[in-house]
Amino acid sequence: MIRLSGIARTFLVGGEAVHALRAVDLSITPGEYLSIMGPSGSGKSTLLNIIGLLDRPDAGTYELDERNVTALSDNELARVRREKIGFVFQFFHLVPRLTALQNIELPMVLAGIDPAERKSRLARLLAEYGLEDRAGHRPDQLSGGQCQRVAIARAMSMGPTVILADEPTGNLDRHTGQEVLAVLERVHENGGTLVIVTHDPEIGGRAQRRLRMLDGAVVADEKG
Amino acid sequence: MRLADLLDFAWQVLRGSVSRTLLILLAMGIGVAAVVMVTALGEGARLYVANQFGSLGSNLVIVLPGRSETSGAMPGILIGKTPRDLTLEDALALKRSHAIRRFAPLIIGAGDVQAGARSRETPVLGSTSELMDIRHMEMAQGKFLPPGDPRHSQPVCVVGSKVASELFGSRPALGEWVRIGDRRFRVIGIMAKQGQSMGSNTDEIVIVPLAAAQALFNTESLFRILVEAKSREQIPYAQADVEEIIRLRHEGERDITVITQDAVLATFDRILNALTLTVGSIAAISLGVAGILIMNVMLIAVTQRRREIGLLKALGATGGQIRLVFFTEALLLALGGAAAGLVVGELGRNFAVQMYPEIPFQAPWWALIAAPATAIITAVLFTVAPARRAAKLDPVQALSRR
Ligand SMILES: Nc1ncnc2c1ncn2[C@@H]1O[C@H](COP(=O)(O)OP(=O)(O)O)[C@@H](O)[C@H]1O
Ligand SMILES: [Mg+2]
Repeated sequence: MIRLSGIARTFLVGGEAVHALRAVDLSITPGEYLSIMGPSGSGKSTLLNIIGLLDRPDAGTYELDERNVTALSDNELARVRREKIGFVFQFFHLVPRLTALQNIELPMVLAGIDPAERKSRLARLLAEYGLEDRAGHRPDQLSGGQCQRVAIARAMSMGPTVILADEPTGNLDRHTGQEVLAVLERVHENGGTLVIVTHDPEIGGRAQRRLRMLDGAVVADEKG
Repeated sequence: MRLADLLDFAWQVLRGSVSRTLLILLAMGIGVAAVVMVTALGEGARLYVANQFGSLGSNLVIVLPGRSETSGAMPGILIGKTPRDLTLEDALALKRSHAIRRFAPLIIGAGDVQAGARSRETPVLGSTSELMDIRHMEMAQGKFLPPGDPRHSQPVCVVGSKVASELFGSRPALGEWVRIGDRRFRVIGIMAKQGQSMGSNTDEIVIVPLAAAQALFNTESLFRILVEAKSREQIPYAQADVEEIIRLRHEGERDITVITQDAVLATFDRILNALTLTVGSIAAISLGVAGILIMNVMLIAVTQRRREIGLLKALGATGGQIRLVFFTEALLLALGGAAAGLVVGELGRNFAVQMYPEIPFQAPWWALIAAPATAIITAVLFTVAPARRAAKLDPVQALSRR
């Protein structure tokens, strides 16, 4: 359960205040599939980063699973992020010197998970995302779609309850984008919460709940 | 994060940028090798001096007539009187001390030594059989002076190897007679070649029994007494005993000088140790330079790896973990550099040993610990700033730019 109330985020750019988010109220129930659309600069990424505990709001409160996370320390935030949240980015953000397998393993390594347990989870993830024959490849030897599948597998490796994807298809051609989207939607089908930021109305339209943002505010919230 | 994973992660980074890694290893290695080699030179010089002193004899206490003291009292020197002679009776009185193992009274003079038609002027030493053990002398042929009452003597002598070859050429010298002044001596031993050792050369002397030397040079006065203490710990007691015994014999006057080999050696030791420490510290400055290099490279790495650091945070890494990643990297570099430096230093030391085999080049134990320790400490210290910068990096900003 995600509950945002009165969330505001202001950036200072050259002495001028830029209101990326102005008093956003938003509740997301577990298992929801939600898309966020809106023009560039409307605050979509900022909202996603706050939900993902990568950024802190300047005002308002954020409750995640009935716990107020607004006041947590950086270390506590890192732990919550590690256990509950999976990020998928537009530019994949894989570590270039590591293989696909090592990239997927990274969150489990950071969490200090036992190597034997990691191995069995990795085998499952590679199979689930169709990456078995790409495990030993480095990102520069993978296609865009494969890279994003590695990134999704990495986001899923700690078994998070919420997946946040910021324009996950923005860097892929149409066909590959569809494929990746299908992979992401499986998260939702398995009961996870999925939030996708996108420019593409066709992709955004597939979600059950569609948010529209404009100038730091949620201006439309459609369901069904 | 598990230690094995941390090491593995750092290892991947180091392997990923080979030239950067090699550069730092080189800088660290040169620093450590410099410290090891420079201190090995200093320590080698120190040991060389110590060995030279050691070849004089061990636990040596040297007794000289006259008081060489510049303090105001001048107790030994009475107005108008020269200091009292040191005599054989003084030496024999030293037997009373329990701290003394043995002693050898010494008279020295110059004499014309003749064998047949050949003659040569050499230093002539009068002493007793104990001299051989005290001075660690070795014989090439025959025997040293026979033991017995030093007040009486047999007409025998021991000659240095060079004297023997000059007087007898290739003929055997053993058993031949030589004439020194108006006395004849039978050659009963030839000393092994020893060469120069702290200024005295036993290759070029002739040794006769003490009583013979007293008669030859017409003197009762000893040049000095060489005393060997029972052990290193006994040296101060031996010194005190010598001073006390001879003071009592000299009617309460302190008119002798007692030098211990230890005291002289300790002075040299202090000087050479200080020298080694100084040059070692100067060499250690190069480790500081390597540390600054590590800091620069790490700072560049923080900038270059902004996205990776941001990503690690997005994946749930704490600031502490990010710092740990950087420290592990620096530590691996320092350990690798230190190991390489120790190996190169050892190679350099071996080379020096080949060039100058007589000097025992050997890095002192403290340098072998201090050099790698300094490398590791500098590496860690100079990584503090870059690691903190990395840990503080805002993940959103780090990830936002392509
Ligand atoms: N780190 C930042 N520093 C300064 N301004 C920022 C920062 N991040 C976002 N902004 C500004 O906040 C507004 C919202 O940005 P963002 O959430 O990235 O929009 P979107 O993802 O919808 O394109 C924009 O005007 C952007 O310039
Ligand atoms: Mg955006």
